[in-house]
Parts: sequence; C-alpha cells; structure tokens
Amino acid sequence: MATTAATPSPTPPTSTSTSTPTTTTGFAFPREYSFPPFFTRQPNIAIHHAQLTKWSALVLSYARHHRLFRLVVSSAAESELFHNRAINRRLGPADIREVLDFMRKDGRAEFIRASSAAAAGNVVLLYWRKPEEWAALVEAYVDETAQKGSVLTVYELTEGENTRGTEFHGMDNLVLMKALNILVKQGKAQIFGSEDSLGVKFF
Amino acid sequence: MFLKHLDLTTALRPSYLPDEALLFVQDNVGLYEGKFKLPNQQNGQVYLTSHRICYVDKEEPRKNSVALNLKEVDRYEFYAGFLKSSAKVTLVPKPLKRSTLHNRVVSSTGVTSRGSTPSPAQSDNAYAPPSGPPAITTATWVCTICSFSNPVPSNFDPVTANAHTPLPPCLACGIKPTLSQVLKAAITSASNRPTASSSSSQQASTSATTQSSDPYSASGTPAGDGQGKPDPTVSFHCPRCTFSNHPSLLSCEMCGAPLLSQDLPPSISNNSDYTRTQSPGPVKDSSSKASPGGNEYAESVKISFRGGGEKIFYERLKSAMTQRKWLLHDAPPAPKSNRMIEDSSVNGSSGAPAPKAKAAGIAGLEQLGLNMRKDNEILIGSAFEDLEALMASAKEVVALAERFAQQVNGASDDVTSKENSILAESAHQLGLITTKDIVGGGSSESLYLSELARNLAEFLTDDARGVLKRAGGILTLVDLWAMFNRARGGVELVSPMDFKKAAQMWESLKLPVRLRTFRSGVMVVQARDRTDEATVKSILAWLQDLHEFPPEREVAWDWRQFGRGVTAQEAAERFGWSLGVAEEELLMAEEQGALCREEGLEGLKFWKNYIGASDVEEMQKREAQREADALMQRLRDTGFI
Repeated sequence: MATTAATPSPTPPTSTSTSTPTTTTGFAFPREYSFPPFFTRQPNIAIHHAQLTKWSALVLSYARHHRLFRLVVSSAAESELFHNRAINRRLGPADIREVLDFMRKDGRAEFIRASSAAAAGNVVLLYWRKPEEWAALVEAYVDETAQKGSVLTVYELTEGENTRGTEFHGMDNLVLMKALNILVKQGKAQIFGSEDSLGVKFF
Repeated sequence: MFLKHLDLTTALRPSYLPDEALLFVQDNVGLYEGKFKLPNQQNGQVYLTSHRICYVDKEEPRKNSVALNLKEVDRYEFYAGFLKSSAKVTLVPKPLKRSTLHNRVVSSTGVTSRGSTPSPAQSDNAYAPPSGPPAITTATWVCTICSFSNPVPSNFDPVTANAHTPLPPCLACGIKPTLSQVLKAAITSASNRPTASSSSSQQASTSATTQSSDPYSASGTPAGDGQGKPDPTVSFHCPRCTFSNHPSLLSCEMCGAPLLSQDLPPSISNNSDYTRTQSPGPVKDSSSKASPGGNEYAESVKISFRGGGEKIFYERLKSAMTQRKWLLHDAPPAPKSNRMIEDSSVNGSSGAPAPKAKAAGIAGLEQLGLNMRKDNEILIGSAFEDLEALMASAKEVVALAERFAQQVNGASDDVTSKENSILAESAHQLGLITTKDIVGGGSSESLYLSELARNLAEFLTDDARGVLKRAGGILTLVDLWAMFNRARGGVELVSPMDFKKAAQMWESLKLPVRLRTFRSGVMVVQARDRTDEATVKSILAWLQDLHEFPPEREVAWDWRQFGRGVTAQEAAERFGWSLGVAEEELLMAEEQGALCREEGLEGLKFWKNYIGASDVEEMQKREAQREADALMQRLRDTGFI
C-alpha cells in the first residue's frame, strides 16, 4: 500500500486538457471529474447507477489520498471534491447526499448519530477501508509487533510513536473504536477503561 | 379486357386520375365475372370514383387490384340479394367492337351521311328524323310561365355568363328567364345529352340529341336499314316534336327547334360535326345507346357486397353515371374552345380571338386588373347561385381558389410559405379526401378510419408535398393534424379522436408510416423505416463530429475527449425536427443510455454518455485488481511469499 506520509509536493496546476486533472495536493481526479454531465443527476437508471458508483469511487479515493475519515456534508459542497472549479460545475447538496447514501448502502460510509437533531446526518464517516479491514490491520500490527496479551491505549494506537508508519496512525477515533469493537466481538480483544482513557487488550 | 390492372399509391389506395373524385368506399366485397367468382378478388374494398370503379384486394393489393372505367360501362343493374346471396351490382360493359368502330367514325372526317341515311332499326326509336341539329342550338330551356321550350341562344356561354348577360325572353310569353335556368339547361345539354334523362324539363332536348346520335351508330353499322320510313325529302321532321315541317323551314313550326337540312354539302356538315366533337357534349359515348345486336359483349362484372353498403353504392354509381365526369376531363373549358372553333369556322381564319379594347401603360394594367376582379366576382357570384351551376363552373372556381391561395402565399412571410404552399395544393386534393359519407355500410366506423389512415399515409408519403421529409422525417401528430385539416381547406375536418384512431391503424394496415409514442406521451409520425436505433445512431454520429470540430467558444473541458453538450434546439436545427420532437428524441436516446444530460445555467444539454455502465465494470475490475495487488504486496512485505 502506498505510504501514508502525506507529504504532497505541490504540483503546478496542470491544464485541464489532461485527461486526469490533478490538484495541488497531487490527487489524480478521474476522467469523469472534468465531464460536465457528471455533475448532473442522470435520470436514466443505468447511467445513474454508474454515476453513483463513480462518484463513490471518487469520494473514497479522494478520502484515501487525503486520509479523510469524516466528511461534513454541509461544507463538502464547496470542497474541490464536489466542486470542479476548472469547468465551473458542482454537485448539488441533494446529489451529494444521494452519493453518500449510496455509499452507506454499499457499506462505504456511515452517518454519525449526532446528539442534536440539527447536526443529524451532517457528518459522515468515510470507510475507504471498512471497519473489518481496519480491524484486520490492527490485528496484523499487534501480531507483527508481538503485543498480543499486552494492553494498549487507544491513544497509543493512533498517535503513539510505535504505530507511526502504519496505516491506522492518526486515524479517526470513532472508526478505530468500530474496528476494535469488531475485534472484541470476534473475541480477539477486550476494551476497558473510561471514556477518556480507553485501553484495549489483544488476545 | 373490361377489368384493368390498377395502380396503387403507397397507402394501397387507387392512384387517382386528374380530376377524379372519390365517391364511395365499401369494404368486404368480392368480384364476379359473368356468373363465376374471380378467385383472387374475393375480399377487398371497392372504391367508386367519378371515373372508375376500383377494387383493391385485401390480401395482395399490389397483385390483384383491378379497376374498370365507368365510361366503358353500358348498363348497371342492382340485385338486392336473397337469403345467403349477397347484394350485387352488375356492370355490363359496352360492346367492344362497337365502341372502336364508333371512335373511328368520330375521329374521321365525320358523318357525311348524316341525315341522308335513315336511322337503323331501333325498336324504341323507329322513327328517325333526318335532321341532326348542331350542337350549340340543341340546348333548350323551358319557360316556367308557359312551359314553352325556348332554344338557348347560340352565343350563350355558360362559363362567362353572369347576371348581366342579356337573355332573350321566352318566345311564347315574353317573360325573361333566370340565368340559372338557362345555365342549367346549357349544362344539362352539354353533359347529359345522350342519356334519356328522366328530367321532364329536359325531355325535349334529350330526345333531340338521342336521335341526333343515332346517325352515328347508323354510320357505323349501315346494315340495319330497311324499315318503312317516310321519305325524308318530302317533309322535314322536327327532331324534338316530330312535327313534319316544310323542307324549306329552318326551325320547327311547332316548337321552334332548329332544323338542319339533309342536303348540306359534306364540307359544311363536317364543320359542324367537328365543332361537335370539341363541344362538351358526350359525343364519344353516344354509342351507349347502341343496340346490342350482332356485337360482341365482354363479360359483365358483378360486385358482391357482403358487408352492406350496396344501396349507397348503387345510388352514387347512378349519379356518377349520370354526371359523366370523365367527359369533363376531355374538354374542360369546352364552351370557350367551342366558340373559338366556331369563330374559326365562321371567319375562315385560324382562331381569331374577340377583339379587346386595348389600353396602354399603367392605365391598361389597371384596367386589366379591374376586369379580372370583375370577372372573378361574376364567376363566384354565379357559381354559388345554383348547385348545378356550381358544378358546371367547378373547374373555374377551383382554379380561382388556387390562384387566391397563391396570392395569399405571396403576400405573407416566408415563414409560413411552406404551409401555404401545402394549402394551395390542397385544392387538387379536394376531391380525394375521405369523408364520413363517402364510406358506408354497417362497418362504416372502422372503414372510415382505415380509409382515413390510408389517406393520411398518402398525404405523408406524397413526394410532391414531402410533408415528412420537410419535417426531418418525423412530425408530431398534432402538427400533422393541423396540417391535414388545413389541407382539407376547412371542409370535412377530421376530429382529433378520429385522427388518432386512424393513425393507430397504420400499424395493422401495414402502411409505410408509423405512429410512435414517446415516453412523455407525445405522439409522432414517422416513416416505417426510421427506427429508434437509426435515430440514436445519427445523434451519436453527430456528437462524435463535435469531437473533431472545436466549439465556437472556449470551453473549460477537453472537447477533444468529450465533445460538447447539445441542446434540443441545436438538435432540432441539425436534423430539421420540430423542437418538441428533438427533445423527445434526445430523451429517447438518453433512455437507451446513449446520451447523458447536464443541467446547467445554459439549460438542459445532452452529451454522449461517458458515465456509461460499461466503464463502471471496467473500473470495478481495476479496483479489484489493485486490491489484489495490494494484498500480494502486503503478503510479500510480511514475508509470507
């Protein structure tokens, strides 16, 4: 897998005539990103499905490239992900929601249940790796570093020196907790501790 | 052969002759020749026109359709049907030999023996006067006051006659006749002469002409001589009242009918005869009265009406046979040419036209225009005075209407000129339209619709009009409805419901046009060979072209790769469609997945589909491949491999 060292060399803005326009962050957008109809909801069911699939793939690869775990729906409309300034086309908020909904059904996103009703459905977790995959990664790491049986704090897993270089370094706590919970269910880990200082023991 | 092969239009209807008018249509008929059924003509439609009776077969219309000319029909009989036997109309053809012989006689120098040859054996006409009155003066009008038969003045021209034409008063009582009366008389004498008309008012004139026609047949078969007859030189029998006049009299002493001397030198009688052939009178068909004796008869044809409608058919046939429209075809503005020849024969010069007051310059032009307007006014005025008078001047009125239409055309803008030209052409079509009363019988509703469907298909596929072609091969039903009703000239308009039903019958009638319903419910008319696939293909080819040619203004995206979006308007311009049609076609292409849409500030645009489903599969495959690669990489890294 590509290294997670997000040190994007600022590439000069390429002309739009290239088939895969890249941004300053070095992300290579797919071809459809500069295809104006891509930003309009297609009424034809087959095309619409293809459109959603492509959007979903675009969102995931974008998130993977930028290591985004959460997406704030309300502000996403202005991001370069959904707004191609080069061709002055943008995906409408309703369409963004539709894309995210499609991803949710696909298991690639999840809306966070917010405490307040206003924020409900505003923030979405992007699973460019599904929790199961994260769980496998964590398990592989623990196994690799021979830390089975020992207790690790959640903070240690994401921010600790030792996990630097792994994929889950710096990952979203919520996603990590979901991954760990899967491990718990599988009987491979146990979570304990209070809200702030959670610890996890791997078996 | 009595029955001839029939040419059909694209819509499998008989192709009409010029001036032919459709009178009646009935389906579910069969043909008999003599007493035997014709095996290939047992289920079809019969079209009665003013000129012909056409049979169009249902199974193999192109092969088995036949027609017979009404002018070759000698008699027609009606059989009402009995028990299982359907009602039939029998058409007896004229004897072939006779008619050819007769034609030769007429086309030759004429009847030199006129008058000197006594009439042959005609049982109902045993007594033949030696005089054959010239054509023009045979017309008589019957005074309404004293019922005296007055001759129509020889200079009376039914075409130019109007309210201001001086009419001589009745010779007996001095009351002036009305114009329509005289006109009617002139027309009847022109068109009706040879038949023994039942109209009592025309009795005199017909009897005169019947007898005048006899010498023709007599000259054809000079064998039937020998009945005891009064010597024609002794007295001069009036052809009308049979009064024996003194030989030196020019007109009958009793009734005033003109008498023609039998001793005329051949040249003069030739002249008069020549005039006759050119006259509107039915000279050619005088042999209809010929005796059947000794002549070959072609087999009679029976039309069996299995689906009803025989009564109306018979009625219309009767009137068609009486009207004899096919004669009008031969000599349309007959009275004019007649006069010309008269002039020439009188003057001895070749057709010297009547001298006209000439004016020069603008005044002359104005004068000309004024005269023309006046003429038109008179023509229209007199045409509508009487129905029969209208029929007589129908040709002129139609021509006038067409001219008016042309003028309207010229005056208006170019935008509507196309429609107007269609409008102008419509006058020709006037006689060919399907109307509810043309079709009959019990199944009239469906027959009417199927006829209308055929009519429409003809209208659409007519190359001269190019209705479909001009609309880019596709036309909304509403547009067609408007166009068709306009072409009907405001009479016998088709109701939208009937129109739609008729259009829906195209499919089952296997006509070369089809009705298509778009997703939105819009109905359009298309040629049969134009399928959705062909349309999509042409749209895609067009969009592909846009990849090659740079757009008019700078675009942000890569037009070499994506081309550009097109609006319905552009598509309409490109393919010559109407806007609604273009929109529907684009939506249809989108439905098929060939196009995708873009809704932007500039409106709805359609692009070639690059979001396509095939692409997605490829992408998913690539994704899977990458994942597999990553897995392998990880496994390699961890030292498993």
